[in-house]
Formats: sequence, structure tokens, C-alpha cells
Amino acid sequence: MNTSPGVSLAGSARIGELILDVDLVIEPGETVAVLGPNGAGKTSLLRLVVGLLTLEDGTLAIGGTMVDEPGAGTFLAPHLRRVGWVPQDRLLFPHLSVAANVGFGPGADADRVAGLLDALGLAGLADRRPDECSGGQAQRVAIARALATDPVVLLLDEPSAALDVESRHLINGVLAADTAPATLLVTHDPVEAATLADRLVILEGGAVTQAGSPTEVRSRPRTRYAASLAGLNLLEATASGTVAVTTLGTHVVLAEPADGPVHLVVPPTAVALHRSAPDGSPRNVWQATVADLQPAFERVRVVLDGPLPVVAEVTPAAVEGLGLRIGSEVWAAVKATEVACHPA
Amino acid sequence: MRRLLLTLAGLAVFLLALPIVGLLQRMPWTSLPELLADDVTLDALRVSLVVSLVAAVVVLVLGTPLAWALGRTDLPGRRIVRALVVLPMVLPPVVGGTALLFALGRRGLVGQWLDRWFGITLPFTLTGAIVAATFVALPFYVIAVEGALRSARRELDDLEGIAATLGAPPFTVLRRITLPRLLPAMGAGLALAWARALGEFGATITFAGNLPGRTQTLPLATFLALQSEPERAMALSLVMLVVALAVLLSMRDRWLPSR
Repeated sequence: MNTSPGVSLAGSARIGELILDVDLVIEPGETVAVLGPNGAGKTSLLRLVVGLLTLEDGTLAIGGTMVDEPGAGTFLAPHLRRVGWVPQDRLLFPHLSVAANVGFGPGADADRVAGLLDALGLAGLADRRPDECSGGQAQRVAIARALATDPVVLLLDEPSAALDVESRHLINGVLAADTAPATLLVTHDPVEAATLADRLVILEGGAVTQAGSPTEVRSRPRTRYAASLAGLNLLEATASGTVAVTTLGTHVVLAEPADGPVHLVVPPTAVALHRSAPDGSPRNVWQATVADLQPAFERVRVVLDGPLPVVAEVTPAAVEGLGLRIGSEVWAAVKATEVACHPA
Repeated sequence: MRRLLLTLAGLAVFLLALPIVGLLQRMPWTSLPELLADDVTLDALRVSLVVSLVAAVVVLVLGTPLAWALGRTDLPGRRIVRALVVLPMVLPPVVGGTALLFALGRRGLVGQWLDRWFGITLPFTLTGAIVAATFVALPFYVIAVEGALRSARRELDDLEGIAATLGAPPFTVLRRITLPRLLPAMGAGLALAWARALGEFGATITFAGNLPGRTQTLPLATFLALQSEPERAMALSLVMLVVALAVLLSMRDRWLPSR
């Protein structure tokens, strides 16, 4: 197998009930964000890379060195891998000062430690204990500690959960620097992923369901979860000409002909709601039941049950005008031109 | 109700304080320097210090791995071993001494082989006194350290994992992460075990006898003196009281919470 000077992982591992099966390459300087719902195996993926979990099958190479290859009986213990891990709860050493935490690694040289303390605005906190640091400061200490040993790969677990603006700014600066290593960050926050990452990997139930640039994933989500991250509706269907049949058996009219299995993506703002059946140009019209009403900024997201389970986004005035309540019957319409159709 | 409870609580305090007051009140302060400086007292003090300190070292060396095995592994049979560890705490020390005699005595289960193969005799020797003190003191240390290990197991797993990813080999992780986190519990457990070894009476007199200068510890000397020279018994008691207070004060953060 071709190993990257960064991280090359192709293999599977069993973690309790979950089978994690990932094929992933991260080049030096590149940032890859793994997005997934809770329990998708995001943290397990990081523990696999650092060596706290072992592969059942496949290969993992870090910096061109094979570190885990069960087929060949290769397994390098965590302290022999060039990794920097920033766990979600930071796990600073409570009995050591900030400076001693950052300089803990036997491979951390003093200049590098001083440089990182400086770059992350920690120079003034060097003698503090971790319990005297704010959440944002603790996160910066954890990142400095991980980078101090000059790792090939930096692993971040939900890095900006509940961070102050200053910390976020300082951390983003360090991660964007030319000297940054290959970075793998896992998160369930699409904004964090889109702002930090060059590439997104969607992980669901232990398997990669989509990988691509943030723009690609946003415009062409391949699963319901990926679509929900972008606020889009996703329907799986089989197309034949200008008609697609969804998994629920509902016919959807398309603007352009297509064939075979497709993903239909519908922006919530394209779903129009009416009190009675509307008429007009080539439309998809159906009767639905309001399952939920969720306020979203200046708008209301109306979750619809029915032949096309989608979310419509309307103004609060429209909700009032239509007299929408949970359980209300309503007519929904989507123009054929608003239905984006991608081959599955 | 409140008054009744406070009365009973006061009675308990009285019961705890009275013997100390009684001892200090009858203390032969004027002849004290003389009593403390004579050979019998100094010999007993020397034996006691050697026995309790060596026992403390043995407790540290054997008890720490045992606490680790009980608190941080999932080995089968831990419950049985844990019960065995607590046994010397609840067993009357005389029974412990008798049991040691039958196990390690010249005709004992293991003792006969020690005698035959290595020429080692434990009963009625200083080493025997150390074995008896270790037997009664070990549980105090193991329980304190095992409890700390168990309650911090998750945290230790996490911190040790992080330390490893930073490139620290296992021995460095032990020295810089695990031990510093355990030090307070180890110190408290060791002080408690040492105090128990210092005060050991029943198992010692049964297994190691009462030979002045060889196995006669402070508690044994005190008991013996009580029948002939009560002043000496009081002086010896004072020595042990001071030692006990010193242990208590050194551990005050743990046992005497300020709030």
C-alpha cells in the first residue's frame, strides 16, 4: 500500500457493538473534519490513530511508518507514534503547571514549548495550575501540549465546543499556520467543520457515507444526515425519465430526465405550503400533516409527515396565516425545477 | 431529641478523652527523663522503630502491587483476595499470631522447610516480630491505596493514555502521572499502617515473644512494666502517645478536615 507522509488508514475495528470501517488519507498540512452523529465512532477513530484501540483488520501508517497492521503482527504502542491528541475533555495533568503540561512530552524541546505558549497566548499563565484556567485557556494548553512534541498528526475531538472568541481566534491561527501537521478533527458541529477543514468525511454507524470538500457535501449531500447538516431535505429515489419514485412509493416530477437510483435534494425554502390544493405549472403537490414546528432564527421549520417527509421553512406570519399547528392538515408544493437530482 | 443526641455525643467525647487526661494527670513528670533514658526503654524504642519501619517498607513494596491488582485489574478472584486482605483487620491479633506460629513456626506448614533448607527461624526473633507487624498493618495500606485507585481509575486511564501519546514510555508515565496522583493516598495509608505496626501487641507476643532487646517492643515493655513499675509504663505510654499525635498531625489535611 502507498503510505502518505501524513496519515494513511484503511481498516476496520470493533468497538463494542460498533464496527468502525474507515479508509482515510490525510496529507501533511491538510485538515480533515470527520462529522457524524453521536455514537458514529468519531472518538473511537481518534483512539485508533493514537493507539489506544487496535485495528482488527487493515493498515494504519503515520509519517510513513506502519504503526498498526494486524495481518503482519505490527503494533506500535502510543508512546512510539508521532501523534498529538487533544481529547474532548482536554485531560490536562492536574498536578502540573501549564508550562509543565505543555513541556511534558520527552520530545518537547524548550524553544518549541516557549513558541507555542506565546502563539496561543499562554505565556502569562505558565505557572498556573489547570484548575485555575478557563475552558478556553485549558483548550489552548491542550493544543499546545499536543503540538509541542512535533507530531505528524494532530487529533482534535470537538475542539471548539464552548470556546470564547479569543481562544477560537488563537487556535485557528495556530491550526492555519504553514507549520501545522496533518490534522484530523472530529465534531458534530457543521460550522466548525466547514470553517476549519479542507475536506469533510461523514461518518455514520462506523462507516464513511460521504467524503469531499465542504462545498461538495453541502451542495450534494448523499445521506439524510449530511443533508440535515446543511439544512436540506434529502430523499432517496429511483428515476426513470422525468419522474422519480421515492422509497415510500411517491412520484416526484423532475425538471431534467434521469435514470436509476438518485438522491433528490430539496431546500426547505422551496417547499410552499397552502391551505387548499394549489394548481399551476409542473409541480409536485401533496397533502401532509404537520409533525412539528421548530423556530429557526426569523423563520419556522415545519416538519411534514406524509408521502414526502420533508421540512418546509416559512415565515412566522405564514404559520399564523395558515393556522398551522402540530397535527394540522396542509397542502405542500415543490416546483420540479427546485428538486436537485444527483445520481446515488 | 436534639438534646439527647448531644448528650450521647458528649459522653462519647468524654470516653475518648478521659484515658488521655488520666494518663497525663498521673504522669511522673519529674522522673520522666530518667525513665526515658534507661536501657529498657531505649531498647524497646529501638526494637519498635526497627520493627515498625521495616514493616512499613515491606507494606509499601508488597502492598502497592496488591492494591494495583485489586483496584485496576479485572483479574478473577479479586473479591476473595479482598476479603483476605481485610481479614487481619477484623481478626483478633492473638489469633493472627497463633496462625503465624502454625504456619511459620519450626514445625509449621512453611516454617519447617524454611528451617530445614535455609536455616531460617522466624518465631521469637526480630524478623518474626516484623512479620507479625506486617501481617496486621498491610490491610490498612492496601485498602487506602486500592480505594484511591478504584475511584480514580477512569481519570488515571485517561491521563496515562494522554501521557503515552505525548511519547512518555510506561515507566515515565508511572513516575510522572500515576504515582503523583496516588501519593496522598499512599502517604495516608502508610502512616496508618505504620501506626498500627508500632502499636502491635497480640500477634507479636504470640509469634515473636517478649525478649528484651530482641523482640520486646514498646507495647510489650509497657504491659510488662505495668505490673512492676507503673511509672515506667506511663512514660512508655507517653512516648507512643506523642508518636500517635505526630502521625495524626502529619495527616491533618486528610483526617481533620478544617471545614
